[in-house]
Amino acid sequence: MTENIENKSKTKAEAFQIGLTVLIVLGSLTVGEYFLGNIAPVWAAPLWGIALIKAFFIVREYMHLSRLFAEGEEVHE
Amino acid sequence: MTSDTHIGRSYQFKTATNRLGLWLFILSDAFVFVGLLVTRFYLFGGERPELNQLLGFIVTSVLLLSSFFMNRAETAVAHGDQRTFLNGTLITIVLGSLFLLGVVAVEWQIAPFGPGDNAMASVFYAMTGFHAFHVLTGLIFLSVVYRNGRKGLYTQGRHFPVEAAAVYWHFVDVVWVFFYPALYLMGTVAG
Repeated sequence: MTENIENKSKTKAEAFQIGLTVLIVLGSLTVGEYFLGNIAPVWAAPLWGIALIKAFFIVREYMHLSRLFAEGEEVHE
Repeated sequence: MTSDTHIGRSYQFKTATNRLGLWLFILSDAFVFVGLLVTRFYLFGGERPELNQLLGFIVTSVLLLSSFFMNRAETAVAHGDQRTFLNGTLITIVLGSLFLLGVVAVEWQIAPFGPGDNAMASVFYAMTGFHAFHVLTGLIFLSVVYRNGRKGLYTQGRHFPVEAAAVYWHFVDVVWVFFYPALYLMGTVAG
């Protein structure tokens, strides 16, 4: 029982950690695109690249797209 | 098969179906935003409207931060942590409201053009307005989730409405991830 609670707690901590890591990545990329856009606004390609990377992280880690294709859905009971 | 197992599998099936419906809705909604984005590049080309750069950066950061807290709230309810779930949802609502005020109450007021001035201005207000409307509906959705959460309607096992609100909120964030550089950063300021 104790071990089960510890495992569950660890999983939650790991999930929180992933969320924080994604936020740091998104924040860094946003700062980068802000300066890039102000220094060289005609360089659209790198700005598109940054936007695509940010969207990838949000869709994958925050929106959990993989749940849509999961076969063995976790039973919430 | 026991009755409890049957109920559990029935809920599991419903959740999977609801999730598919949610993603189909998001996909169809995304086409409208893609249309607006294409319109922006077709009409402006390599130019962009004169906007407050710092304000754009701040509202973008606020929206990204709100997504982090919504993710935290959803993770918390999935692990039975009601307090973190409610706090995360409330912080998301506050940050989302700040984003909305930043765009509608500040950016729209200080922009040196009105919606009817020219095509570029019309597209700017259409893009930010349509997005702001989605933020508003997201805030209403989150408020309902928060209210129901306070009543204890969501458990570790049954919380699809929280997931749906979170996915919708993150979608609104993804849209802004593309709108922000398209409106504020790409191209030279129109003369």
